[in-house]
Amino acid sequence: MSENIERRRFLKGVGAASLIWGPMGCTSVEDDSSNTNKPHYVMVFDQNKCTGCGECKLACNTANNLPEGKSKCLMEHQSGGVEGKACPHCGKDKCNCERKFVRVSCQQCKNAPCVSVCPTGAAHRDPKTGIVTMDKSKCAGCKYCIGACPYNARFINEDTNVADNCDFCLSSKLSKGELPACVQLCKYDALVFGDINDPNSYVNKLLAVKDSVRMKPQFGTEPSLRYIPVVKLGV
Amino acid sequence: MDGSMEFTMGLSKGIAWPWPIAVYLFLAGISGGALVVALALRFIKCQTANTPLYKAAALISFVTISLGMLCLVLDLTNPMFFWRILVFYNLTSVMSLGVIALCAYIPLTAVLCLYAFEDDIKAIKGLSILLPLISMLKPIRRPLELLTLILAMSVCAYTGFLISALIRFPLINTAVLPALFIASGISAGAAASKMVSVLVFKEDLHSSELKLLHGAEWPIMITEILFIVMIAMSLATGNEGAQSAFSAFTSGVWANLFWVGVVGVGFLGPILLNFATGRTFSHSAKAFYLSGVCVISGMMCLRLFILYAGQTYGI
Repeated sequence: MSENIERRRFLKGVGAASLIWGPMGCTSVEDDSSNTNKPHYVMVFDQNKCTGCGECKLACNTANNLPEGKSKCLMEHQSGGVEGKACPHCGKDKCNCERKFVRVSCQQCKNAPCVSVCPTGAAHRDPKTGIVTMDKSKCAGCKYCIGACPYNARFINEDTNVADNCDFCLSSKLSKGELPACVQLCKYDALVFGDINDPNSYVNKLLAVKDSVRMKPQFGTEPSLRYIPVVKLGV
Repeated sequence: MDGSMEFTMGLSKGIAWPWPIAVYLFLAGISGGALVVALALRFIKCQTANTPLYKAAALISFVTISLGMLCLVLDLTNPMFFWRILVFYNLTSVMSLGVIALCAYIPLTAVLCLYAFEDDIKAIKGLSILLPLISMLKPIRRPLELLTLILAMSVCAYTGFLISALIRFPLINTAVLPALFIASGISAGAAASKMVSVLVFKEDLHSSELKLLHGAEWPIMITEILFIVMIAMSLATGNEGAQSAFSAFTSGVWANLFWVGVVGVGFLGPILLNFATGRTFSHSAKAFYLSGVCVISGMMCLRLFILYAGQTYGI
């Protein structure tokens, strides 16, 4: 049944509606950065402590059932001699360069290119933890994310034929309340993992006192991995 | 302190997108370009008949985009996963937006083929099932053609936007890329349509339509050259990463492909064939086909160069 609404009634309705909707529109939605209830998981790699032993790679391979010899993190050997190999920094077999290694893995960006370019939403952010992870059932294997990642930290898993990245062992360890496999297995405490939004967490306290850097900040992806570099003291 | 540490290794070896993607970019460019040319001419000249050029463009656009889809599917890590791209969408992804555009564009190229070959379909008994469909679609021919024109442009541009989202590669991550791909798509699409219209649909080599296209060829080519110069200059005068990517133009196998394939065959070839030869030769069928093949080969080289050289020089 239709009726003609009088102007007066219409205006009353508009007035009442604006009184209700106006204040609702003005209520601010808290943005993510100030929301401390949501976790923001970070990993800290301390270059001062890493010896390049490679246990993290083995741990990763086992924990995530990856193909033989594959892992979601690598150690880049940047300087210092290793038995029988030339130093990557100075090229000599015997030198006094300090041994330095850098962890290479998914940087868990806050503004992740892989998530925005993925055509199916397979590369997505886990709603509960905010960790960038993969929905294997959605990935079509187009490799767009692999080209789009400024860190070249994604790969195709030969077993499943879909793209993969380090997701802090989200499904294999975190969901069981454990730390990521590489963090657990690191004998030298070179890897620290935790929620930076938790004021009592160790990572929060560590990063409050230690200088740390992020990789390739010019890409504006806001990575969640922090690196504590070896710093020479004195002149 | 940010930036005081770097790593150079990666988890993926080689390049993410190999040659089938370059072939797809090439085919999608030709498909879109051919239709842009044919439909623009149709609207400008208020044509109502199915001209040989229109037929050629409709046929080319449908065949090339279908082959292009084949390239895309075969390049997936597992081609059987292709349905996922059609079922799941992510509107922040250029690829996903492209899929939406292609889902409308590919059927439309088929519809344009129905329009173009209506008489031929009538003549073949086995295809009579298509006749009711044609008569149903006939009243909306003009709006559909307009929509196809817009989508053809979009498909050309989208291939540029698609790869310019790869932020780690300075040669690829440029705003000019979509424009360059539209320009080169139009020039190669026009060349392909011209050749097929003469070869298959018996268009006269010196008809008014082809004359118009011969004339339009040069401004389009100049535009293309301008866009390539823009990309090269922005790299040469850019920051450290851009400067290192500039060596794509100066050294290595991809520089050779660029200077021989893109510049030599694609630009100098047609220019020399048309302006450096005698009047009789430059107006002959031989020169016409040679020049067309040069333009199309040059465009394929351009796509290969952009994709391979682009992904070779990352930062």
